[in-house]
Amino acid sequence: MLATFREIYFIYRRNLRTWLAVPANVFAPLFISGLLFIIFGATFDKTISLGGFGTGDYRAFLVAWIIVQVVIFSGADSGFALLTDIMSGYFDKLLLAPINRFSILFGSLMVSGTRALLQALVVVLLALAVGVDFQGGPLGILAMLGLAVVFGLVWSCIGIMIALKTRNAQATQSSGVLFFPFIFLTTAFMPEEQLSGWFKVAVKLNPVTYVMEAMRAIVVEGWDWQTIITGVWVALLMMTVLLVATTWMYRRQTA
Amino acid sequence: MSQDNIRDSIIAVQDLVKVYPGDVKALSGINFSVGRGEFFGFLGPNGAGKSTTIKILSTLLKKTSGSVGVSGFNLDDGPSTKEVRKTIGFAMQEVGLDDLSSGMDFLVMQGLLYKLSRKEAAKRADELLELVSLTDVAKRKVGTYSGGMRRRIDLAGALVHRPQILFLDEPTTGLDPQSRLAIWDHLNELHRQGITILLTTQMMDEADQLCERLAIIDHGEIVAEGTPTSLKNEMGGDLVRISIGRDGGGNDGGSDGVGNQELYERALALVSSQSYVTGSAVGDDGLVVNVKDGDASAPNLLKLMVENNIEIARLAVSKPTLDDVFLKHTGRTIRADEGGGDGYGESLRPMLGLRGRR
Repeated sequence: MLATFREIYFIYRRNLRTWLAVPANVFAPLFISGLLFIIFGATFDKTISLGGFGTGDYRAFLVAWIIVQVVIFSGADSGFALLTDIMSGYFDKLLLAPINRFSILFGSLMVSGTRALLQALVVVLLALAVGVDFQGGPLGILAMLGLAVVFGLVWSCIGIMIALKTRNAQATQSSGVLFFPFIFLTTAFMPEEQLSGWFKVAVKLNPVTYVMEAMRAIVVEGWDWQTIITGVWVALLMMTVLLVATTWMYRRQTA
Repeated sequence: MSQDNIRDSIIAVQDLVKVYPGDVKALSGINFSVGRGEFFGFLGPNGAGKSTTIKILSTLLKKTSGSVGVSGFNLDDGPSTKEVRKTIGFAMQEVGLDDLSSGMDFLVMQGLLYKLSRKEAAKRADELLELVSLTDVAKRKVGTYSGGMRRRIDLAGALVHRPQILFLDEPTTGLDPQSRLAIWDHLNELHRQGITILLTTQMMDEADQLCERLAIIDHGEIVAEGTPTSLKNEMGGDLVRISIGRDGGGNDGGSDGVGNQELYERALALVSSQSYVTGSAVGDDGLVVNVKDGDASAPNLLKLMVENNIEIARLAVSKPTLDDVFLKHTGRTIRADEGGGDGYGESLRPMLGLRGRR
């Protein structure tokens, strides 16, 4: 058991180094979240007067969407990182070592969790820098980061499954496009009471909405337990299902 | 497989079959064994089944059927795979390297994966960098290494845990001659130290120079096996190569009406009826005739052709190479496979009654 943790740690450390070795991996998400924050904050500044946002600061409303977006896109990165190792043959090298093959998967997933944590943290720091007031306080921020990690694992599993299934770099990289509906069929820009028709139905069916709402509640309302617990349950449920599915697929592909 | 077999040989393979999804048969029941400390080679063209075999032996790929013993373990016993892995090292065709880490970090990571302590791993990495002469570039990222350096760091990575068996999948394919020689030196040194080496290659000279024993593999079957010398001796002496036709072309059919193909068929029929000829075939280089004494037979063959109005463009006498061995057993040269087209040898094979395999 101890040996397995040791293996997972070494693979985690190596994968984290690989990610950090490319500065663009770190700075691109930072740049994009900053850009989204400033542009969308300015564009929709006045929509706040429509009501139902739960806050007078549109930028506070946006925080949850941006965290969800960066975390979802980092999921595609996880798949791509694994695929890079598969293509280079390094993955085979790991499989050849006398280690548990699941250590390789879990080491990769831990990097995904770390990445989600760091990227969400960047968004929070940006928001704090421009003066967004987090109603949940420091504990609320910690809870939000925790939720981002869980949600990051969900999308990393999806990214890894796409990579294992397609074994194709282009396909894996462009799979991010499939994530767009999940990001935008939500309350990304407007609160639920401003939505109507088919769009509202789609938003209610999209599980991402509930996770986003939970994060948003922490920013704009503080400890709104019902919304938060719903979001946490949805994220945990998705994570469990996807972890099982990914492990199963990984097991079949590496047998 | 008898237990004795497993004990005497460090690798023992019996009736090994591999069928890939989509009914693609990569190996159709091969048998071979490798003795402890032996330098054994798999020679064959692309797609012959070399990589498939080596991947099955190293536990990377599951076999379809047959039995495989490696380092005294039977690969069917699931729990023993980890034990097998501790005894083998694998340097790969794709060069499975971590481009973003330094040579040093790559080797330390390999050591850690093979259960060395941090201290041991660092020490072993130093030793290995020294061994493959990469100490100077230890801190540089592997992605910046040249082709030859990459193969050497890969080789070093396969040696961290002092394996009993070293698998090498085309270790010098694509390298310049100087880098190839450097790798060969390392391999010879490792062989002297007693490591069992199983190497795949599609290069005749590599197989000839390095391997004590060879299996020639084609379309998933072993077509010949033996020491390079015995395989060449099997050819029955020397070879006389004859190119026919005005343009001297080997196999392009020629621009004249008759076509070289027909001439080659006639020439083949003529030479095979001669008492001093022990074998003959048509390949990329033209007509290849096996004789006991090449120098003495050449004038006779020349006379025979001239008397039958077959124009000769070139005639050369040579000692047999592994290329010729391959041609004899498969009806074509290894090179013929590389461009995808099989050339003259392939189209003539059915007519010549050569062993057909598809």
